[in-house]
Amino acid sequence: MSSTVFYDRFERHSHGEGLKGQSTHYCAGCGHGLAHKYLAEAIDALGIQDQTVAVSPVGCSVFLYYYFDVGNTQAAHGRAPAVAIGHKVANPESIVVSYQGDGDLASIGLAEIVATAQLGLPITVIFVNNAIYGMTGGQMAPTTLMQQKTSSSPYGRDMYMGQPMKMAELIAGLDGPVYVERVALFDAKQRNRARKAIKKGLQLQVEKRGFSFVEVLAECPTHLKMTPEQAESWVREKMLPVFPLGVKKDETRDAWYAPPTPNYEPQALLGAIGGSTEALPRYCSSYPAHIAAHDISLKLAGSGGDGAQTAAMLLARAGINEGFDATHIPSYGPESRGGTSYADIHIAAEEVLSPASPHPHVLIAFNAPSLTKFASTVREGGTILYDSSVIDAPPPMPDGVTAYGVPMTRIAADLGKPLVKNIVALGALQAATGLFPVDTFLTAIRQALKDKCAMIPLNEEAFEWGRQSIAPRTN
Amino acid sequence: MPQVTERPKPFLFPEFCKGCGRCISVCQKHSIHFADHINARTGVVPIEIDLDTCNACGLCMDACPEPYGLIGRPVDATDWELEDPSHLFGHRPTTAPVPVDIPDQRVALPACEPLVVKGNYAAAIGALLAGCRHFFGYPITPSTEGAELMASLMPKLQGVFLQAVSEVATVNHMYGAASAGQRSMTFTSSPGFSLMLEGISYMIGAELPGVFVNIMRGGPGLGNIAPEQTDIKLACRGLGHGNTHALVFAPSTPQEMLDMTMRAFDLSFRYRNPVVILGDGYLGQMTGRVMLPRDMVKPGIPAWAVWGDAMHRRNLTSSIMLAETDLEQHNEHLNRKYEAMKVEAMADTFVCDDAEIIVVACNTPARMAKGAVQELRHMGVKAGLFRPQTLWPFPVDAFLPLLAHARRIVMVEASPGQLEDELRLALSRADVRTYPPISSVQHFGGILPQQHEIVTRIMDLPAGSHAQAVSGSEVLA
Repeated sequence: MSSTVFYDRFERHSHGEGLKGQSTHYCAGCGHGLAHKYLAEAIDALGIQDQTVAVSPVGCSVFLYYYFDVGNTQAAHGRAPAVAIGHKVANPESIVVSYQGDGDLASIGLAEIVATAQLGLPITVIFVNNAIYGMTGGQMAPTTLMQQKTSSSPYGRDMYMGQPMKMAELIAGLDGPVYVERVALFDAKQRNRARKAIKKGLQLQVEKRGFSFVEVLAECPTHLKMTPEQAESWVREKMLPVFPLGVKKDETRDAWYAPPTPNYEPQALLGAIGGSTEALPRYCSSYPAHIAAHDISLKLAGSGGDGAQTAAMLLARAGINEGFDATHIPSYGPESRGGTSYADIHIAAEEVLSPASPHPHVLIAFNAPSLTKFASTVREGGTILYDSSVIDAPPPMPDGVTAYGVPMTRIAADLGKPLVKNIVALGALQAATGLFPVDTFLTAIRQALKDKCAMIPLNEEAFEWGRQSIAPRTN
Repeated sequence: MPQVTERPKPFLFPEFCKGCGRCISVCQKHSIHFADHINARTGVVPIEIDLDTCNACGLCMDACPEPYGLIGRPVDATDWELEDPSHLFGHRPTTAPVPVDIPDQRVALPACEPLVVKGNYAAAIGALLAGCRHFFGYPITPSTEGAELMASLMPKLQGVFLQAVSEVATVNHMYGAASAGQRSMTFTSSPGFSLMLEGISYMIGAELPGVFVNIMRGGPGLGNIAPEQTDIKLACRGLGHGNTHALVFAPSTPQEMLDMTMRAFDLSFRYRNPVVILGDGYLGQMTGRVMLPRDMVKPGIPAWAVWGDAMHRRNLTSSIMLAETDLEQHNEHLNRKYEAMKVEAMADTFVCDDAEIIVVACNTPARMAKGAVQELRHMGVKAGLFRPQTLWPFPVDAFLPLLAHARRIVMVEASPGQLEDELRLALSRADVRTYPPISSVQHFGGILPQQHEIVTRIMDLPAGSHAQAVSGSEVLA
């Protein structure tokens, strides 16, 4: 009796009508049928029919799902290994087989097979190499032999078309796979080896040891324009010298694949995303309408490392803690480090409309180019704070704007931590504008540093020094 | 004495023989040869077996490529030749059970303080709340923070973060995870989205869910990494080859990034179709206030999943319909789904009740437009904002009532009219032949329309042309 891993009737093959209910779509003598049989036998022998998910490729074996009574997925051309990964990580207990031909695996799907093999998850790939494109009608495959004539190499493959791809050797050269073998189907002995290799490839997956790859040299009598018997001889005589049979890699690796089960506990999720059920105290008696009636815009500008973005984030957080709406948008220069770094912030009583700050109420400039670039954009009645330790010759300030030179870098350096100059700036901002009460700022700073508590006193000190640089304590 | 098990001799239905002859060359006893006639049902010459000389070695059965080709002949089957194959091999194609849904659960969340997070982070958090524990992605600015947050959070929730070899691989990982019935997503940006389109077409064809957050950037080609809105045509009209559509959301705040991502997962599974969230680079980077929802999702496994167990064994994920009539029926089914999705159209309006100038914008430009509308209202201009929150389907039903008093439509977008195209097409499909002239404020290359530009453009509109509505065709001319 044939394997019960094949459907009793191939309903998906032209609705199972007529002979198609029990016949494959493959041509007479095609190697795919044998590879199918050995795969079905292996699934049967290992008792994994229920767990198996077979990924059908594009190519002649596109209809693999007609035949195998297992979970089936049909993939886009060349993408079967990527689809296989999706299945494997979705259900690590599933046994995932990616079955591909030479065009699918060795041409359009090269990136996917190499990446999947190197990733090394326990997945089994059956690679059927018949040195030609079958489904599209006998064109040159990446595994087509030199001098072999195909419909797209009508004068024979030559050096201008490149040489055949040796996939088993290529895959075996990677670290990910645990087992790679090339087998053939042209005589009883080879068929027996093929059967064992396919079973071993699956076994290693069942044992959670790793990725396995079995290349099967197969006959395509139709496109070789040969009888099935001639095709068997052709594989033996022509293909074997180019694609030597045998085990290419067989590594002993302990079972390792045991990913955890996803967690859907609300507390775990809230912990991960920093969700807090604890309401923070509010210190503002009302919206700081003395700066703007509904919507205050600020710009913090410097170079990467000045801390403009961190300070901007603290401002947005402080505003939101007080029950207002706030936004922060960063803008960087093209350099990934050390380039310009600008931050636009809005704090609105109800809702921030436009989040950009082309005309801010407040500008904090950490360096001279930023001050020169943005000073003139500050609104009348607005405030400019700049780092006087690095800007010794400030440009003329626009009319109706109050400017404060604050030695941010020097204060921070005196505190032993130049990085806190942005916190010095926030202290100065508080004193110069009264945007929020002191405690609003300090709460936001402590909240941001809740995982680095040791840093809190220094930051509080920096903030206080910033304040004093504007309004020295009188008592 | 070791017990000798008798091996069966081979048996073959001539109808299932393709006449390849691979069994002939392997037979050591030369018991197999081609018949001297053509089989009338198959049109090929089958093999014949001389059972008298056969020694039941079984090599011919190993060599036969057909599942129902040469098989071992049970000793008690004397009249097989006369049996109907369906009796022999069974009527039922499979013994697999009929799968049933394992339903999703909604789990209550305690009331939380607002988060202060970037738009990209908000979408990632929305996905986690929606029960997504499988993230696949390829780094691309300006969407990368979303993937990075997933890389840091997924291990804490025992979920999967996998950095794919490309966007092509990404969408196919999603195809596989979705085929297994799981909630998966990715973050990408325009060039990456282009690469995913093939896979999205396959997902639509195979009716697989998945959420794609595309933080649009400047193009064409490599363009730059600054915000643009030029993938509206891809998302609304060009999701790969074939008859494809997907719900397309256009958030304009970090809060909407979270809310719409959560909704996207629900709808993606409800309709078994991908859902696209189009953001712009500005929105992805924007930090804002984000309130958490009241509950989160613990996903089940849908009945259709190819999960890899007994219950789901009979399932198939495929977009292949070889017979023309089958594929036509499948497309008619998809069309009915697309039609059903139209109830998901969503729009937000701002002071539109008496508006004579309707500003239409989505994503971040809608925020600039909202500021402009407010400024115009202070100046006594009756402007209002229409903000489509879904771009496909376009929320035309919410738009039509506004035409009663509208004298101008002003499109504000970071694209050369891709949003306008959606509006015009929606109006045309709604059989609206007469509507006010359409003006626009457009920017490209990473520059977003600014509030003052919108105000200036509207103030500069020729006053006389407001009064009369003209036909759409005249607008085009």
